[in-house]
This record gives sequence, C-alpha cells and structure tokens, in this order.
Amino acid sequence: MLRLTDTRRAYLMNGPAMIVLFALVAYPIGYSFWVSLHRQNLKRPKATKFIGLDNYFALWNDPAFLGSLRTTGLFVLVVVTMTVLLATALALVLNESFPGRGVLRSLALLPWAMPGVVNGLMWRTIFDAKTGALNGLLTSLGLIDTYQAWLSSPAGAFFLTAFAQVWNTLPFAVILLLAGLSTIPPDLYDAAKVDRAGVFQRFRQITLPWLLHPLLIVLILETMNSFRAFDTIYVLTGGGPGDATSVIAVLNVKTALTYTDFGLGSAYAWVITLLTLVVSVGYVAALYRKGSFEL
Amino acid sequence: MDRRQFLRAATIGTAFAAATPLLSACGAKARGDVVTLEGWDYEAQLVQQNVDRFTRLNPDVAVDYTPITSAQFIQKLTAEFLGGGGPDVLYMYDDSLAGSVEAEYLRPLDGIEGVDAIYDAVYPSNAASMTYQGKRYGLPYYTDSQALVYNAALLEKAGITTPPKTLDELEQQALRVKKAGVLEYPIGLPAQLADTAAQWLWALVYANDADLFDDRFQPVMSASGSAATAVFEWLRHAALDTRVLDPAAVQTLPVPLDNAVMAGRYAFVLAPRYALRSYNNPSKSKVAGAVKLAPVPSLDGRTEGTVSNSRMYCLGQHAADVEKSVRLLKYLGGFDAHGVPYTAKFWFLQRGLGYPFSALAKDPEVVRTIRTFADPIVYGRLAEVARARRIISVPWYAEFEAALQRVAQQVLVGGTSPADAVQDLDRQARTLAQRYA
Amino acid sequence: MTAVPLRYRVPWKRIVVYLVAAAFALYLVLPFYWIFAMSFMREVDAVSVPPEWIPSHPTLDNYLSFFRPDSAQALVGGRAIKETPYALGNSLIVASATALLNLVLAVPAAYSFSRLKFRGGKGLLMLYLVTRMVPTIAILIPFYLMMRSLGLLDNYGSLILSYLTFSLPVTIWVLKDFFRAVPRELEDAARVDRCGWFRTMWSVFLPVAAPGLVAAAVFAFMTAWNEFMFALFMTSTEAAKTMPVVAANFATDMNTQFTLMAAAGVVAVLPPLVLVLIFQRLIVRGMAAGSVKG
Repeated sequence: MLRLTDTRRAYLMNGPAMIVLFALVAYPIGYSFWVSLHRQNLKRPKATKFIGLDNYFALWNDPAFLGSLRTTGLFVLVVVTMTVLLATALALVLNESFPGRGVLRSLALLPWAMPGVVNGLMWRTIFDAKTGALNGLLTSLGLIDTYQAWLSSPAGAFFLTAFAQVWNTLPFAVILLLAGLSTIPPDLYDAAKVDRAGVFQRFRQITLPWLLHPLLIVLILETMNSFRAFDTIYVLTGGGPGDATSVIAVLNVKTALTYTDFGLGSAYAWVITLLTLVVSVGYVAALYRKGSFEL
Repeated sequence: MDRRQFLRAATIGTAFAAATPLLSACGAKARGDVVTLEGWDYEAQLVQQNVDRFTRLNPDVAVDYTPITSAQFIQKLTAEFLGGGGPDVLYMYDDSLAGSVEAEYLRPLDGIEGVDAIYDAVYPSNAASMTYQGKRYGLPYYTDSQALVYNAALLEKAGITTPPKTLDELEQQALRVKKAGVLEYPIGLPAQLADTAAQWLWALVYANDADLFDDRFQPVMSASGSAATAVFEWLRHAALDTRVLDPAAVQTLPVPLDNAVMAGRYAFVLAPRYALRSYNNPSKSKVAGAVKLAPVPSLDGRTEGTVSNSRMYCLGQHAADVEKSVRLLKYLGGFDAHGVPYTAKFWFLQRGLGYPFSALAKDPEVVRTIRTFADPIVYGRLAEVARARRIISVPWYAEFEAALQRVAQQVLVGGTSPADAVQDLDRQARTLAQRYA
Repeated sequence: MTAVPLRYRVPWKRIVVYLVAAAFALYLVLPFYWIFAMSFMREVDAVSVPPEWIPSHPTLDNYLSFFRPDSAQALVGGRAIKETPYALGNSLIVASATALLNLVLAVPAAYSFSRLKFRGGKGLLMLYLVTRMVPTIAILIPFYLMMRSLGLLDNYGSLILSYLTFSLPVTIWVLKDFFRAVPRELEDAARVDRCGWFRTMWSVFLPVAAPGLVAAAVFAFMTAWNEFMFALFMTSTEAAKTMPVVAANFATDMNTQFTLMAAAGVVAVLPPLVLVLIFQRLIVRGMAAGSVKG
C-alpha cells in the first residue's frame, strides 16, 4: 500500500482546489500572455502576427498608457493611504468601549455590502451637478453659493472618485484591523499604564507592532483591489473628464473590447499584474526583514 | 502550417476545440429554430411589440430578441463574435460598420432579392453609410441629423425672439438669458464619453462647411484657421469665460440631457431632430410646445450644414438560417406587402426617429406627425444640408472618436488649449492610421 | 462641608473617542441614507432643489414597481425594473453556491497548510495569491471562450466557476490562518478516541473552526455578490443576470429615474447587509485568528 507521507497527503488535500483554480485560471492566464506577444486586432484578422515583446516595448511610447499608468499610480496611492489611515482610526475607536459601539460597528460594515456598481451610482447622485446631495448640503451650510459640477474638473473628478472608492473598501480593512486589535492581550496595556506610558507611546510600543501583520494584509489586498478598480470609476466618470480618471483597468477594457486590440489589451493586463506583484512583494519583503511576517 | 495559421488555431481554436461535440450539440439547439436579434436597448418594449407582430405574420419563424444596454453594446458584440457566436440579426451604428466588417462579424447583403429596391428608396447618404468597400451590409433603421434645439419660452423671458445664426450670437443670447437670471447655464451638451459619436461636435464643425479630414482621410483639423480650432476656441470661451455652457456637460449623457431640456433647465442644446418628439410631448415634458428647431449655428453665419447619422440592421456572419434571418431583416429594414416601409414608419410615428425612405416625406400621416413637434421647413432643411461622416469608413474610427471626445472634454474643462487640442488629434489620427496601415 | 479639591480631570480621551465615532457614523451612513431616502420619494421630490432630506410625500411606488413592471410608472426604465426581482434571485443563488463551494474546496487545502509540513507548501500558497493579482480583464476573454465551449454562458455555472476562482485563494488564506490557531490537542484527543480523520474533522475540528468558516464564507459571498465585469459578459438575459448588471442598466439605460435607481440600489445592498450584520461578531472573531502575529 502506498504510504501517505505528509507531502502526498497535503497535495491530495490541495488537489480539488488546485484543479479548479489552475484549470480555470492557468489557461486564461497563459492565453492572455500568448496573445500579448502578438499583433492581434479583431479588425485586422489577416495581420495577426507573432511579434515577441514588441507590444510591451511599444508601451513606453504610448501616451495613453503612460498617462493612465500615472493616473493609476496616484489613484492607488491616494486610495490605499486614505483607506489605511481611516481604517486604522476607525478600528482603534471601535476597539474602545463606549455606549453605541455595537451600532457603529454595524454601520462600519454597511459600505461593504454595496456592490461597486451601486456604489458608483450612489455617489453619482450625491455629486450630481443639478440635484446632488453634496451641493444641497454645502449650500445649506452656507459653504457654497451656487451648485457646482463637482465631477467636471479633472482634479475634482479624480479625488471624488478616489473618495467613493475608499468609502466602499473601508469596511474590509476595518474588519482585518479590528480582528488584529482584538488579539492584543489586555494585560500589555495594563502593564504599560503602570509604567505611565502615554496614549501615543502605548500606541507605538504595543498597538502598532501587533497591528503590523494585519496592516500588511490590508496593504496587499487594498493595493491589489485599487490597481484593479473598475466598477465605481466606470459608473461614476467613465474615465473622464478627458483622461483624469482613466485608470489602467478602464483603458484596458476599452482597448480590448471596444477597439478590439487584444494584443495590446493583454499586454496592459500583464503590466498591471506585474506591478501588483512587485508592489506586494515589496510590502512582504519590507515586513519580512522586520521579522513580523511568515507564511 | 505557418505561424499565422498556428496562432489562429491556438488563440481562437483551442478553447473550444476540445469541446467541439458539446459546442455543436448546443449550437444546433440554439440555432436554426430561432432567429436571434440583438440591439441596444432603446425602447426595448416597443421593439418586442414590433417583433411580436413579425412572428404573428411569419408563424414559422421564432425570434429571440435580446436588448443590450447601449453603453456595453459594442463590447458585448466583441465578446460574442470572438467566441464564434453572435446574433443572426443585429443593430449597427454607422460608426462601427467598418470595424465590424473588417472583424468579419457581418455578411454582405448584395444579391439578396429586394435589397436593391430598398437601397434605391433610401436617401443616397444613407445608402452610402450602409455600404463598405462597395458591398452593402445594412438595411435602414433610422437616419437623423443634429440641430440647434432652443426653448422659445425661456428665450422670450430674456427678450429674444429669433434663434442665433452664428456661434457668437449663440453665446451672446445665452449670456442675455444668464444675465436675465433665467438660467445659470443656458447651454447644455451631451459631452460625456460614449461609444457612439459626439454628434454635437461634428455638427458644429460641419455647420461651417468644413471637416476634420480631407477626402483622402488625412487630418486637416490642425491646419491654420481650421474650423475645428475655431469651434474648440468657442467651446472654451463659452465654458470658461462667459460661462454660459454648463460645466456639467462633461458628465452629461444624452438621456439626462433630454430630461434636463424637458424640465426646462436648458435654453439651448444640440440634439437630433427626433428628440423634439419627446421634448414637445406634454405627457413627458414640462416645456412641451416651447421647444423649437434651428439650423446649427456656424462661425460666420454664411455657411449651413450639420451631421447626419444612420442606424441599421445587419446580418450576422454566423446566421444559421439565412432565409428566415433575411425575412426578419427585411421586415425591420424593408417594405411590407403593400410596399410601405412599415418598421421605419412605425418608429417615426412612435418616437419621431428620422425616416430613411425619401418617399415617407410625402406620406400624409408622416407630414401630419412632423407638424405636431417641429417646424416642417426647418426639419426638411436640416436633412438637406446634413452630411454623413466619411471618416467612419476607416477601421480606426472607434479609437479616433474616443480621442476626439477626450480632447473635447479637456478643452471644456480648460485642461488643454484649442491649438494643442487639434495638434493632439492630428497626431493621434496619424498614429492610428499608421498602426492600421 | 469642606471644599472638594479640584481633582476633576477633563476626560480628553472619551471626548476624542466620541467625536471621532460620531464623525465616522455620519461618514458611513449619510451616503447610504441619501439613496435610502430617495428610494421612498416621488421623482419630482428627489430632484428638487434644495434637496429633501426626509421624503415629504413618502411612497412605496418605487419598490412596488418591481412587482408590477407593466404599470404606468414603469414606462420609464422598464426593462431594468422587470429584471430586478430575477436578478435578486440569481445573485442570491450564485453567491450562496460560491460561498458553499469555496468552503468545500478550501477546507482540506487550508487544513493541509495548517497541519502538515510539506515540500512546495509555501510556494503553492504564494501561487494561490498570485492568481488573485491577475486583473479580471486579462482573463475575461479566454474565460468567456471556455464557458462558451462548455455551454455555460447565461447560466449560473459560468458565474459560480468564475467567482470560485476569484475567492478561493483568499478563502484558503483566511482559513489557513484560522486553522493554525485551533489547538492541535483537540484532534489528538479525538484520535485517541479512535475517531477517523473525517469524523474528527466533522465533529471536532470544524465546529471549533466555525467562526473562521463563517468569515471565509461571507467573504466569498460578497465577492460573488459584488462582481460586475464577468457577470456583464457571461449573462444576457434574466436567466442569469445579477444585481450589479441590472443596477448598471439603471445608470446607462436609455431612460432612467433617480428614485427607481435608488430603490434598486437599496435592494442590491440589503441581502448582503443582513448577512454581515447577523454574522458580524463571527466575522471579526474569524479574522482575528488569522491576524495573530506569525
């Protein structure tokens, strides 16, 4: 009888998941990489040709791509920073005990339940230039005189889109951080109090180190999500005005499905994948050196 | 097997090569018995009504009609045809015809009985827009042209009685409306990014007897003193200096624009003629009766012109039962047993969609209906001076149109100067032409 | 009476906590409140200037129109309205099936990472995560071709399979961390009682791991519930269209009404919201194990 070593058993247990995952993802990934090595545009079926890495080299002279790369980078930076800051603050508050904590905790989960498309729709009605709630609110507070078209300026559209995205992704980060906070042994704080450590000192010396691991996970997942962000932007601005919110996912969908340029579209997709990978590896490596990460 | 063939097999073939038996099995069920019809979702319920009438008249044909959200219509077609599927009969924008033919989505209609008669009966520009490289691909759905649409009641409040002839007058009148406190932003435009052409922008250029490309499809928008530059200058001025053009224009899609007009929130918009059917319909519009048509203003008031567009029905490359599909196609885009273009007339009477058949202009029912929503003289004149875009016959039109809309938005929000805008478009057009050469 | 020495200290921390909590509460709830209130308004009130914060003529018409899509009001945006009830059902089925299948496939895999030391384990774990970094659009077209050849287009199958690939890596990661935190002694004790492995898993291990399972299932459910792009391309009729696809139709449909859109948005949010509210404690506890250092 075949002796079941740990390795054999482990692969047996991973078998079903591996089959499903790799059968359904490996082929599409391989396919899209293969296509990215070709000049392939549906509208030019006879001109399909293997061109090696030319699609990738062409990216460096492609203003649309470079522009959207900048936009995407900034978008990821803004969204991830805002999410991490807000989520940390919210998680810290939720970790305190005060009346109404349960309610706030429930509220914190609300945006999570909202599909990205609905999120985009919601913010669109809020930012609406003619009837929007934001205009109504700011007018009644006396902060503006007349209704503004918030999404019409490039900077306005960019930051408000990022804002809408943060609102949607915040709960996920809060849950992870809250879970991290809940594992900190309370006696650590008591000990620190005895040592008369101040609030900030306690945060730096106890809370932060314990939070590093969940923070890492939040950073990786939020970075991956915001590199891929599409739904909210698609509904809210469609990439405009001009190309102010034309992040790479939006450009990618247009290139592949509207312009039917699959070669270039696949190359775009691979660049996103690589960027996400590099950034994630960067996070992991940084924390690994600090000794706070292990698989 | 050379590399090219190998690639074709590898990229498109492998996915379902393994499952060919499955594919043919389910293909047989889906095809043949039922004619599939796909279109963007304009008035899907009316379409279904009309299709139901067809199946009553043709009991041997079952039709499966699927409306697709207009914003995703082209993208879904891409996916379907790439997968070797695609509907038997489908709607098509004139903008997308060239690309769809090049991508081998469509089957030419030449030689099918009755098609010649249809092409003889439609306006020549309409026939031309359904023809690509000498072959006929579409039967007409509707054709319409852009107009300056104004709300006479709002203009009257500012003491204005005649619509503007030049862009300068338009801006001045809008300024009077604004200063009279009638509206903060009297001019509206649907300048949000979309898959279909920014007709309003083309109309502004065409009003000057000018174009963005010459007859050999070389870009001319950046030539010194070009109409395109002047139009961009005007847009910038109206949006940022006199501030009569609604800054929300860059987020406005056609339907919200219609709603705003019908709520009395704009004094001037650029819109297709058929929009007046709704604008002047008291059950839909608060300003019914006050909305009027005018020619598209030009720079100097001496030239006349606007852009026309066509929508058509096409035959899918993979249509299984060609005879039945063609019967549906002809029902939608041809004549009935009495020689009347039933569906085209249906759409005009129901929603005012411009008729492609020239004979309908004399149809008493049509004439009567026009009078209910527009001045027949202006209505007819707009059709006479309208031109179709010839550049839509290049396979890179979709990319150029997207660039045009982006650049127009940048001009409107002050992100780029008109001079840079036309340079940018010129460069992009040349790059695209080269890439597709 | 002697004067009490002034030993009262301003409770700065409490004040800050309350202020921040109140600010967050507003931030979290106001945007949703806006469409919630709008969904009970008549269209004319919804577009009034200044906006109505509380519906002055509250009405259920928007919700009722989902049940009688052919009524007069539904002339506007008719098709999306008609599809909403179907889409709600489709979303529920697809998301629940995704969550369930996730657990079935991920439990053994996660267990192996938590209990067995095996060659290539770390690599495999990283590989799972890498599949998550591929943007949806990259695999959309080949996936579409595969589903077409399997005859699964416009069918729950294609959606469940695609969402399974999106959520499975995360599920495995979450469960692996949680399983690690479950003390080994439990299983050892069971083994002493001569329980078979499956018995041990079923009646001892999994019940203890319940919070982790719930958290992972909810995550998978949400992934499936929220996904838009694949649903858009894989489905074409109410046989399989999901809520995000129909909701997007409200935005891009040729005719659109704010109030109906708002009502559809609320409908799209409620089921997952109820789910997370019921399970919120378990979710946080489930995640907590995974966050333990190391």
